[in-house]
Formats: sequence, C-alpha cells, structure tokens
Amino acid sequence: MPQEPKLAPTLGELLQERGVSRRAFLKYASYLSAVMALPAGSATALAEGLANARRQSVIWLSFQECTGCTESLTRSFSPTLESLIFDLISLDYHHTLQAASGEAAEKAREAAMAENKGKYVVVVDGAVPTKDGGLYSTIAGVSNLDMLKATAKDALAVIAVGTCAAFGGIPKARPNPTGAAAIDEIITDKPIINIPGCPPIPEAMAGVVSYLVSFGKLPELDHLRRPKAFFGETIHDRCYRRPFYERGLFAEGFDDAGARQGWCLYKVGCKGPVTYNACATLKWNGGVSFPIQSGHGCLGCSEPDFWDQGGFYRPLSTNLREMGPALAGAALAGAALGAGAAWASRRHQESYQRDQSAAEGDKK
Amino acid sequence: MTLLEFARGPALQVAMIIFVLGATWRFFGALLLPWRLVPAEPRKGAPSPIAAAFKGVVVKMWPHKPFQKAGMFTFVNGYILHFGLAIVVFLFAPHILFIKGLTGLSWPALPSNLVYTVGVITMASLVAGLVHRLRSPVLRLISRFDDYLSWLLTLLPVLTGLLAAAHLGARYETLLAVHILSICAFLIWFPFGKLMHAFMFVFSRAMTGVRMGQRGAEL
Amino acid sequence: MMTQTLHASIPQEPPRLTGMSDAVFAEVAARLAEVVAGASAPPIELTAMPLTSEDRADLEQRLGRGEVFATIESAGRSEVWETQFSGVWFVRHFGENDRTASECIEFGAAPAILFSHRADMAAAARRLATALQPANAHETTDH
Ligand code: SF4
Repeated sequence: MPQEPKLAPTLGELLQERGVSRRAFLKYASYLSAVMALPAGSATALAEGLANARRQSVIWLSFQECTGCTESLTRSFSPTLESLIFDLISLDYHHTLQAASGEAAEKAREAAMAENKGKYVVVVDGAVPTKDGGLYSTIAGVSNLDMLKATAKDALAVIAVGTCAAFGGIPKARPNPTGAAAIDEIITDKPIINIPGCPPIPEAMAGVVSYLVSFGKLPELDHLRRPKAFFGETIHDRCYRRPFYERGLFAEGFDDAGARQGWCLYKVGCKGPVTYNACATLKWNGGVSFPIQSGHGCLGCSEPDFWDQGGFYRPLSTNLREMGPALAGAALAGAALGAGAAWASRRHQESYQRDQSAAEGDKK
Repeated sequence: MTLLEFARGPALQVAMIIFVLGATWRFFGALLLPWRLVPAEPRKGAPSPIAAAFKGVVVKMWPHKPFQKAGMFTFVNGYILHFGLAIVVFLFAPHILFIKGLTGLSWPALPSNLVYTVGVITMASLVAGLVHRLRSPVLRLISRFDDYLSWLLTLLPVLTGLLAAAHLGARYETLLAVHILSICAFLIWFPFGKLMHAFMFVFSRAMTGVRMGQRGAEL
Repeated sequence: MMTQTLHASIPQEPPRLTGMSDAVFAEVAARLAEVVAGASAPPIELTAMPLTSEDRADLEQRLGRGEVFATIESAGRSEVWETQFSGVWFVRHFGENDRTASECIEFGAAPAILFSHRADMAAAARRLATALQPANAHETTDH
C-alpha cells in the first residue's frame, strides 16, 4: 500500500484530476440538502465543505446479516450523481466488495486502522451474536464481537447500517437463539449513528456520510440515534393514501375493490403510522415506488423489533397477545364469584328473616 | 419492550382479564339475588311486573315535567356525552378492528374526520358535565371519589385518542401507547365503580319500575 | 416501459391542486422583491415539498419560460432556465434514468450552478499554460 503523503489531496482536487468540476459538487450538494431538508441555501456550504474535505477512510464490517444492505446501497448508485458518494470515501475494508480475501483482507483492515487511527469511520451491517462468547459468527477465526470491539476502539464514529446493526433486526427476533445484539448495546463510548431499514434507504447512507465528511460532525439524531433528516417523520405523515385514511376508506384485502382504488392499507396491517422513515418521500429504486405505492402495507422495518409486532397483516390497533381463553376463563371465574356472592347474600337474608320472624313470634 | 408493545401486549391483556372478571362478578352477583324484593301484596290495578319494568326503563329516558327545567342540562348533556362516546368507541375504524380482532365481529365505520369531530364534542360535554357538577352545591355534596375518578378515566381515553389522531404533544407511537394505557385504566376501574352503570342501568331502572308499579306509584 | 404498465394498475395519488402552488408563487414574489431591494434571498427548495404532480405542473406553467435556457452536463444532466420573471430561475437536476433528483427556484442575476468556480478556473489556467508550452502544442486537455 503506497504511503499517504503528509496532506492528502482534498476531494475537490482529487475529482478535478478526473475532470469532475465543482458544479458536480454543487449539484450533489443541492440534491443532498434537498433530501436531508437542510436549511435553505446550505447547498453552497455543503458543496464547499465536501470539496475541501479529504477522503474519509471507511472500514465496513458485515456480521449477522443477509448482505441486503450492501446490495441496496451499491445497486442504487448509477454512474452519475449518486455515485459521487463512493468518491467521498475510501472503502478500506469491505469483505463482500473488496478483491482481497482471507489474511490479505484482514491485513488491509489492520493497516487502515493503524494509518487512520482515531479518524476512520466504522460502518457495520448485521447484528452481533453475544451468546456463548459470540461463537455463532466468526470471520477469519475472530468472533464478530471481538472484531467489532477491536475495530471500533480507535474509530471516529460508528454507523450502524440496517435494522440488524441498529436494533438487532431479524437475528434478534424471538427467540433470538444467538443472543444477537445491536451495535449500540456493545459499543458505548463512541458516537453511533443508526440508519435502520431492511434494507435502509441508500440516500440516507449517502447523506449521513457526506454530512460527516463535509461538516465534520454528526447530523441531528432522534432518541434511537437515527438522523432526523431521514427519520423525522412517519410513513403515515407523508403517505399519499392518507386522505383515504382520514375518510375511513380502507382496503379489506389485497385484491378487493378498495385495494384497486388505492385506499388506505391500515386494515391489512400497515405499520406506517408508527414507522419513521423516508420511503414515502424518497421512494425506492431511483424514486420509482415504495411498498405502499406498490399495494402492500408498511412492515415497519426501520423500527426496533419489527419482526415481533404480532404479524405484518395484523392491524396496528389490535392487541398483541392471545386473549380468547384467558377472557373465557375470566368470565367463568367472574360468574362463579358472582354466583357465590349472591348465594352468600341469600343465605344472609334468609337467616336475617328467620331471626326477624323468630323475634316477632317472641313478642307475640 | 417499547411502551407501545407493553400497552398492546401485557397491559391490555391484564386489563381485559380484570374487566371481564370484575364485570361478570358484579353482574351475576347482582342478578342472582332474590328478585322479589317487595314483600307487600301488589296494589289493586297495579301493572304487570314486566310492563312496569319496561316503563321504568323507558320513562326515565326523559325528565319529568316538573323537573324539566332544572334537569334539562343533565339530560341533554348526558345524551351528547353517551352518544358521542358510543360513536367514538364503536364507529372509528381502528376501534372496530380491535373489536374484530377480539370477537370476529365487525361493521362499517364512519369517516375518521367525522369521528374526530364527535370526539371533540364528547370531550366538551365531559368538561361541561364536570363544571355543572362542581357549580351545583347539591351535586357537589353527593359526589364522591368514585364520581371524579370515573369521570377522569372516561376523559383520558377521549383526550389521548384525540391527541394521537392529531399527532399533538408527543410522537405518535407514544401517544398511541398512552391512549391504550388510558383505556387499560378505564377497563380496570370499570367493574368496581360507577362506570358499571353501563351494564346495570337497565336492571336498576327496571327494578325501580317494578317496585313503584307494585305500590301503584306513578313513574 | 415496464414500470409504467405496473403503475397503470395501481392508482397513484389522486390528481388535484392542493393550493401549494399558490403559496410557492406568493413566496417567489416576496423573495424577488427582496432581491430587487438589494438583499439576497435563499433558494426555494421544491424537492421535498409535498406538491402533487398537478401542483408542480401548475407552478411551472405560471412561472413560464424566459429568454435563457441552459443544459449542464456535470455528474449527469441539469437544466436551468430563467422564468418569464427576470431574476427568477428554475434549476432542475437529473439523476439516473432522467429522474428528477432535485429542483429549486433561485433568485438573482444567475443561479450559482452557472458560474465557473475559482478552483475550476485555476485548474483550467494551469492546463492552458501547459498547453501553451511548445512541447505540448497539440495537447489541450490533461486527462
Ligand atoms: S396506507 Fe399506511 S401509511 Fe398510508 S395512510 Fe394508510 S395507514 Fe397510513
């Protein structure tokens, strides 16, 4: 690996060599400030920040995951605007994307860590199994748990990409056999940004990294450490079917008359009202559509434990636990108690009346 | 476990069990008591007990002439409150879904916007009821803790439901959880206080009708 | 296109004007007035605004087209035009598949994206200097 010069070129200089002008930065910045809803006019500042920044070293760790997050993030970038994100970062380790493998790959990770000590960003997709010493997932003989701790130790920040890394996701679904845990349950002394979603919206990832590179600080986060720019509103807040919700027009199934007329999907289990994500505005696959637009309710994939909310097709307003037998039992027990109480009361009345008539008989 | 999961899960389960147990207990406890509580012979020309019971239930639905002026507010406000509650509870789509999930029964809903409006009216009527109660020395004298608690536990679900619908004051999932928890509190208190009148009023009015009828008293 | 046939079977947002275009139009007037008074006005960001397609069409139609129209090829295509109101510029950036990535209305003599950046001009000057050297007489570009 070539020794980095004392001062690496700025991104502006780097891209200029490849014939990319500052207009490209400005364009990218207008795009990002639009999707992140940054204050009006911040595009210019963002563009300058990006152009004057140096490439950000990124070490990408993949743990208990399905590679869907990497798929989502890499597939969405065409060779135009959105691909600029890959010019902003120097992806020093990503065992799915990098050419090197085995020992060589691990060496690259260690080299990047040593070179950029305290300055690199760790991106994690996948949950970390913690049960039985973390033996359920290992890379090159090292458990995910140990690798995460070692890599995060000298990191600037950690970005947990996808619901598995952010909240434990599907590996953590009941009964969670591997003791899967979210990144922020393990790393507690570093700034952590969660970008949940199954998979997460690529623009969110691009936006957060660009913000980090350009402004040198974390974007504003919510109580679950999600960037508010993308997770500030619910799907329901921005859903185009919302007028149907308000009018009480609901599809009862996926192919009934209501569904064909595009009515609200609340009754078929839509979790949009409690799901914070940007699908309804940014949409997917380059703005083509998002689940609700394609006729399916929101699964709530960017929320903690979305897998264990009683079922994807169960309406939000229903109870989560089985009640039938318990309620039947309660009714029987209540009836028995009532009958018992009435019986006791009758006996009391009878004995009272007996005493009364006895007393009256005495008087006579 | 998030607050919403707790509310939709264990909280609702426990509250429903207490509600069903308590309500059936009181219901059967009262109905299995001896029915003939009027030892005296019925007056001559007294209506049959069934007719008297029926009359007791119906006649009490409107104030007596002499009381019309004084009692009108209570009656009108009471009707607004009760119809409002019934509409909000039973004709709001998410509520019907809840009932359907429990019982399998369902029926058409009203437009959500209309239900919100009714909810606001219901709340206004609850507040008006309390003000009326507090301003009347007699009502204040006969009001007990039960009355105020029952009032509060009725108000809270309406209030939190409206806030949730309007996304006001907190994040929606928190508002929804608080709404469900307020219903849990309502359900738990229901069998043990005056809220139980929802099940009992028919029987108590009928009993009054029968007693009065046997004594030949005009209702 | 495949996506279009798919879309045809699933009803999209109901076509309607929400009044948002009126609001944006009024804001345009206010900001241009500020610029005329000598202040500067930030752009109006349209991308994330809850505008229906009818709102967008209505706004675009009311702003109209003026004398200038420019296409920019930088990280994909962008289109810029002066509206029929001098000093009010419409800027639209395209992403992949000619999808609109972002759009905004800018105010002033010209939108920022049209200006050449100092850094680019400096780089160009260096290239020109290199090209002027006799050895590089035929080289006009360094990449
Ligand atoms: S489809 Fe889902 S997100 Fe959209 S309005 Fe209905 S409940 Fe809300």
